Amino acid sequence: MLEGLRISPRKSQPGRVRGERLTRRAGLSIEFADYRDYAEGDDLRHLDWNVLARLDSPVMRTYRDEEDLAVHLLLDDSPSMAFGEPTKLLIARHLAAALGYIALSNGDALYPVRLGRREPPLSALRGRSSFGRFASWLGRDVADDAPTSLSSSLRAFANSRARAGVAIVLSDGLDPDAAASIRALVGRGHEVWLVQILSDLDLEPDIEGDLRLTDGEGGAPTDITANSIALRKYRDNLHEHNEGLADSAKRGGGRYAIFETSRPLDRFIQDTLKREGWLS
Amino acid sequence: MAQLNFARPDALFLFLPLAAVIIALYLLRMKRREMQVPATFLWPTHTEEVRANALFQKLKPSWLLFLQLLALAVTVGCIARPQLVQRGLTGEITVLVLDSSASMGATDVSPSRFEEAKRLAKAAIESARPGDRIAMVEAGPVPRVVFSLSSDPVRQLAELQPLTVSDAETDAGEAMRLASAIVAGTEGARIVLLSDGVFERIDDFSQGNASVVFQSVGKSGENLAIEAFGSSESQKGRLLFASVRNFGDKVATTNLTILADGKVVDSSQLQIPSQQSQSRTIAVPAGATLFETRIDAKDALAADNYSALSADPAASLQVLKIGGEDPFLDRALALDPRVTLDRADRLPLDGGSSYDIVVFDGVASEPTTSRGVLILGKAGTGSPVRITGTAARPKFNGASSSEILKGVDLDGVYFEEIEVAQPIGSAEVLARSAAGPLIIADTKPNQRVVYTAFSPLESDFPLQIGFPIFVSNLLDFLGGEAGEGPLVVPVGRAFSLPANAPSASLKVPTGGEVQLKPNGGAVTIREAKRVGTYEFRSGNAVRKVIAVLQSPRESALAPEREIALARKPVKSTDAPLRFADFWQPLILLGLLILGAEWWLYARRS
Repeated sequence: MLEGLRISPRKSQPGRVRGERLTRRAGLSIEFADYRDYAEGDDLRHLDWNVLARLDSPVMRTYRDEEDLAVHLLLDDSPSMAFGEPTKLLIARHLAAALGYIALSNGDALYPVRLGRREPPLSALRGRSSFGRFASWLGRDVADDAPTSLSSSLRAFANSRARAGVAIVLSDGLDPDAAASIRALVGRGHEVWLVQILSDLDLEPDIEGDLRLTDGEGGAPTDITANSIALRKYRDNLHEHNEGLADSAKRGGGRYAIFETSRPLDRFIQDTLKREGWLS
Repeated sequence: MAQLNFARPDALFLFLPLAAVIIALYLLRMKRREMQVPATFLWPTHTEEVRANALFQKLKPSWLLFLQLLALAVTVGCIARPQLVQRGLTGEITVLVLDSSASMGATDVSPSRFEEAKRLAKAAIESARPGDRIAMVEAGPVPRVVFSLSSDPVRQLAELQPLTVSDAETDAGEAMRLASAIVAGTEGARIVLLSDGVFERIDDFSQGNASVVFQSVGKSGENLAIEAFGSSESQKGRLLFASVRNFGDKVATTNLTILADGKVVDSSQLQIPSQQSQSRTIAVPAGATLFETRIDAKDALAADNYSALSADPAASLQVLKIGGEDPFLDRALALDPRVTLDRADRLPLDGGSSYDIVVFDGVASEPTTSRGVLILGKAGTGSPVRITGTAARPKFNGASSSEILKGVDLDGVYFEEIEVAQPIGSAEVLARSAAGPLIIADTKPNQRVVYTAFSPLESDFPLQIGFPIFVSNLLDFLGGEAGEGPLVVPVGRAFSLPANAPSASLKVPTGGEVQLKPNGGAVTIREAKRVGTYEFRSGNAVRKVIAVLQSPRESALAPEREIALARKPVKSTDAPLRFADFWQPLILLGLLILGAEWWLYARRS
């Protein structure tokens, strides 16, 4: 199912090495882009001799350059991702595996980043042969006694010297500053694709009574009386929060989708990622 | 206006501790259940009134608390059994005891005391609330349950309607004990006695948990009654004696008429002061078989204005039983319509001359002047036997043919111990055992004696079907067999008559005929409850039976306003209070409050 699919960014990103992606930057690939007047010092190999013969005017052929695409796969491994049945983290890993495979199969430079954990950055992975390393990275459980919040991790990534590219964020987004962090990411030139992975517990929490809620992310506990009013308020807050995330992601030409953990992964890829043009 | 009363007011004190518990639950810190969620920032931070931030907290006004306390108050109120105090005869469980004795036939209240009591009973049944259970006992000559505890007024009224008054005395004590047994162990029951209170004092009675309400019926005690009517031998020959008593408070005048075989033989006007008697004595007309007497007083009770007397001396037997309790013998004697039974511990000084028959039951016999003597199990002086010893458990060995043992089979009867006796003089052995004679009879010119070597209570003879026949035969032998003339019986008393045909009938004075079923050559008649002449038929035999009322107790009509039950006075009440339980609507109210509390809670949730 994944064969033949490729990451389809809305805008082209400058590459570092020649890859299989056409860029708007005129380059040396074989795919014709346009004509331009000859300028001193141009490589005569791209002079269009036919035009020169007919029109007696030196015209240079320009080609679209083929570069690799930087695909930053940001996997949220914060404590809140451990909720749900199956857990949101597991679903995120499956989706990350699929997207990573697609990226590697198309010669994109894959930069796996674990959010919420302190972990040395992994160098770029290229080519299908790197999928093994990627899979091994995905499956690794990182023990971290002091996990960082989603927003902190995103800001840290945004502030890094990461090459601009498609930043695919696989997260539940359950951080009050997540939207601001996404905007920071966009501000660094990344095209942010946010897949918000939410479980039933997030969407329709089945709780009632007088409760003391402890925060999975380590936040302060909250005393609530879980009644219909509180649940309605919660749903309103979640909707508003998600709207903010979507708005932040789309602001820089990015994409946003919610992936409910109860939904099959293949359906999500087919019905959302392919149909909405995330993958082509 | 009905008053509210609590059957268990002490239960109201439960409210305070239980309310304190509920309030304490509101005051005390309630431990919140901890729950981990992915993130808390999306949850609203406000909480409801149940706060959990301190061990104790200030009690805040809360509709939930108010409704819970209200529901508790209603529940405690139900436990305290609230009752509405109303006027009325019936309660939740009621036994109506309806007196149907002769005095209740008095017409001092229209149409009669009995009909007035029936009207009260009817009103009580009709005013009973759904679910109230009522039973009725008729306090007649033989008390009986008219209908058992039920809440079916239609059936109860149908059972009440045909009840009629009798002209007999009542066993009110037995009726009250029967009523008490019906509600034994039931709390809050009441026994309502509808009566004029004209009955023997009731000493042996326990009302248990029930309350007793006495509704007196009747207004006046004005009544004239034939107090006595009898015959006796005198130096002038046989005389008839009639006595009339004025039970009222005013001087009364009446005509006393004496009839012989239906013909007037004497008539006199009597002026009788209050609570006094006047009598009339005449010579017995020769050849007459039946004497009757009546007064023409227009008084409240007609049943005691007439009496009758059979001229046949054997038609009426005065029997004196000396000895201990023997219910079997007493019952067998009482079944004979001729018998008037007296009991004593010893022989009177006159030697029993005023009695026709003297029975020595388990006590040594003594010489007596009565014309019949029955000695049971212990021969003494004057007995026709000589005792030589005792024998244990002898077996019946045979009997000679005699009127005494006619229809009686002693074969298989168990005798624990007998006296070994030898007949002396003209005495004859009628039945014998292997150890000696069992029954010996002696006929002298002016006395007949029967001796049994066994005491009935030391054998199983009283349990045999032949025992009452044996007693009846003994009465015939000792008292002289009654002729076929009219039989005079006390009204309301059960008695037996010989009936050799397979069927028998009794024509009653009010019209109509009752079919009777003979058993063992006799039939027991319980239907003579009204004063008058009955006609008994069995095959071709016809016997006239006259039921008469001679009861000073019933004739003393003055209604009692206070009766004594087990020496405890019970006053008559014109409008007794009834306690109608009130917990059902409270339960409904409690459910409504709980429903409202649930609705409020659900609305907030």
